Amino acid sequence: MLQKKICMLGSFSVGKSSLVRRFVESIFDEQYHTTIGVKVDKKVVSVSGADVMLVLWDIYGEDALQTMRMSYLRGMHGYLLVVDGTRRQTLDDALALNDRVVSEIGKVPAVLALNKFDLADQWEIEPAQETQLTAAGWTLQHTSAKTGDAVEKAFLQLAQLMPAK
Amino acid sequence: MPANSIFESFLAGQGYALFEYVGDGDFRLIGEWPPWCANIWGAPPSGDQLIGLADKSPFLENFLVDAEEFWRARLPGSVNSGNWIERGADGREIPLEASARSLDGKRILLIQNLSETFGQQQKWFQTARNSLLEHEKLLKEIQKKEILLHCIVHDLTQPLSALNGVFHLLERENLPAGLRKYVKAGERESQRQELMIRGILEAFSSDLAAQQARETKISAAPDLLACAKQAIEEFSPAFRERQIRLSLGAHAGGSRGWRVVGDASRIDRIFGNLLENAMRYAPKGTSVTIGLQDQDGFVFAFVDDEGPGLPLDQRPDQLFALFSRGKAHAGKAGLGLYFCKITVERWGGAIGAETRERGGSRFWFRLPRATQTAESKATAAGQGKSAEREKPQKFKKAEKSLRILVAEDAELNRDLLIELLRKRGHVAEGVADGRQALAALEKHNFDVLLLDEEMPRMTGLQTTAAIRRRELTTGKHQIIIGISGHATEDDEHRFHEAGMDAALAKPVEVKTLYKAVEAAAQNLHPVAPHSQHETDPAAAAGPADAARTSADSPAHPPAHSPADRDDVVTHLRRSTGGNEKLIRSLAATFLADAPQALARIRSAVAKNNAAELAGAAHLLKGSLAIFGAPKAVAAARNMEALGRADSLPDAPAGLSALESEFALLQDELRAIHSTPRPKAKSRLKPKPARKRKRSR
Repeated sequence: MLQKKICMLGSFSVGKSSLVRRFVESIFDEQYHTTIGVKVDKKVVSVSGADVMLVLWDIYGEDALQTMRMSYLRGMHGYLLVVDGTRRQTLDDALALNDRVVSEIGKVPAVLALNKFDLADQWEIEPAQETQLTAAGWTLQHTSAKTGDAVEKAFLQLAQLMPAK
Repeated sequence: MPANSIFESFLAGQGYALFEYVGDGDFRLIGEWPPWCANIWGAPPSGDQLIGLADKSPFLENFLVDAEEFWRARLPGSVNSGNWIERGADGREIPLEASARSLDGKRILLIQNLSETFGQQQKWFQTARNSLLEHEKLLKEIQKKEILLHCIVHDLTQPLSALNGVFHLLERENLPAGLRKYVKAGERESQRQELMIRGILEAFSSDLAAQQARETKISAAPDLLACAKQAIEEFSPAFRERQIRLSLGAHAGGSRGWRVVGDASRIDRIFGNLLENAMRYAPKGTSVTIGLQDQDGFVFAFVDDEGPGLPLDQRPDQLFALFSRGKAHAGKAGLGLYFCKITVERWGGAIGAETRERGGSRFWFRLPRATQTAESKATAAGQGKSAEREKPQKFKKAEKSLRILVAEDAELNRDLLIELLRKRGHVAEGVADGRQALAALEKHNFDVLLLDEEMPRMTGLQTTAAIRRRELTTGKHQIIIGISGHATEDDEHRFHEAGMDAALAKPVEVKTLYKAVEAAAQNLHPVAPHSQHETDPAAAAGPADAARTSADSPAHPPAHSPADRDDVVTHLRRSTGGNEKLIRSLAATFLADAPQALARIRSAVAKNNAAELAGAAHLLKGSLAIFGAPKAVAAARNMEALGRADSLPDAPAGLSALESEFALLQDELRAIHSTPRPKAKSRLKPKPARKRKRSR
């Protein structure tokens, strides 16, 4: 079966592990458990009628305590850049991280997940900014690991963006 | 047991699994196959059977690339994989870390089970990140409160604008001496209130850097001795009433003068706060003394009392903390001394308190001496200042009459600005919002546009953007002066960023208004140098500087007046100087227009339209404030806040409260409106009749 390596990237506490858990196990935990290191999960999805094994690399969120190793991204077919929509700073951090990724390994299919959309009343990302991101070529999804909204859609969209081989 | 076996058993006991790399992703186990390996990767390999670890673990497969490179390069030491987690057959998550090293020419892979230490590490990271999240949350809360504070300051300064304008107008009328005294008192009190509002903003705003930037631009150094004398003069009656002697004590060694870094109005407030503090604790029949001393490069000022001294259970520095209240809570909210501390420290000084050896307390502060340059400027400015204070202020016509458009939604503020500009000889017209301003600019040419920031339908910033866009095709440049209710450096910066030429702070001082308008217009109509110095000797700066002076206007130290709890009629009489005609006109305008504003609020609530609710409530709030109806204003403010927060479930209850307050005010204003006009002529000279624009 075709395997595709997908990395989860973004700041700490944006919901990367929760998105994977929701996608793979359909579970959500209200409590925040910080990730140290890397956890690899797998899920088979159907892309254009063919089964594809998504190998999901849930990589710890970057902050002052931990810097991401670019070697983890080796062989990556695509990545989900995750942002906490209720913390504007995480978008800036994600875009800075994205610049580093592109400069290190070149352009790879990616989806920008604006997560925690269930907290829309605390949303800090302006619609105009989202429009700008779309104009800049980003595929955007308003996800919620809590409710499950758009989670599968984001992963499938990413799978479809990746080359079939 | 051979030494190797002992070592291998030891490693296994420590949570290690040892492998030799043979190539193609395959490994040979060295020593024992620990139980956690069995949990993750199943049964141990038999005999010399190879293990395809790269196939079993995508993480190891990835790490193998780094490891192979390391082995190939024959580097010393080891290369480390970082932590990763594998899930065991029993469902447990097992944290691991691999390292590659070379040993006797063999390529060795060491995998360590971190379960024992991982929990602790996880706990540290969790705590650190939770703290970071809490910190972020706290910062957001502070930001929200600052926004709220700015809204409150805006609301508080709005009616002050009107009051100050009314006083300025009255002062220039031919008033009998007795009445002039009251007008002066009213003006002083309204300016005092303005200072207090700004004090609150400064004390609580985290934008201290911006504040500091403003204050390091010292153009005039205040004389500490003059400030001390003024404080004594102002406070003497209050001290006398309490049978406490207030005097100026030693101020020896001042041959170099007493000019210091700082701002006279704020030093007045520092002395005021320290004297108020002393007055609270000094017993009857005792003395309070202000003294000054020369200290290398500094001036040391103190206020000595003969009271009980500092509390034993409180450190002196705690007295200056935010919300600190002294002995037996005789003080107020605990803001006064905090204000003194942040102000003095901002100027590079220090403040403190101590119990005096001979009994009583000493509260002191120390400020750096002003530099020669600042001092010489101060002398000139000080002379100008005292001349300004003494000379009766008269309206002098501007050198050149300008056409000015005033865009301001609060009708009374608009009328006052227009009136003040007309008195100066300018031609002024008013509109109630940005859209009307755009329409007026299309029809007529105006030298200057005075633009309020917060207006319904189209704000000042949106209007500026529209004008500047339009100018891209016309090549013209409209002079725009923004009016802000907040008056911080941020606002000024924001206004300039938005394309405005200058910024004015509410309440707008007459002098500042003229200076800003005429300085801005000089770009279009060059006038003879010094043309306006007859009325305003200090006017030489650009519009932005002119606007900034509003916050630094001369202080009027506090007198002690009770809180104003008068009814609507008294309030109106006070704010209009008893001008019955103006009161009736205000009442009539309110009765005609305000019900529509209330209807808009009702409609917005019914339609669940938060933006419309905020706009309509803001407008009504401005009208209500003119009548000094605090409960009605509070109810309107509440509705505005609900609208802004898009929190409409509470809106019906809020509306009901607003409606009942509104009805009460309406009744009172109807009574005013229907009262027969007094036949006796008002002692106030009515201003020339002007057609009121019914723009709403």
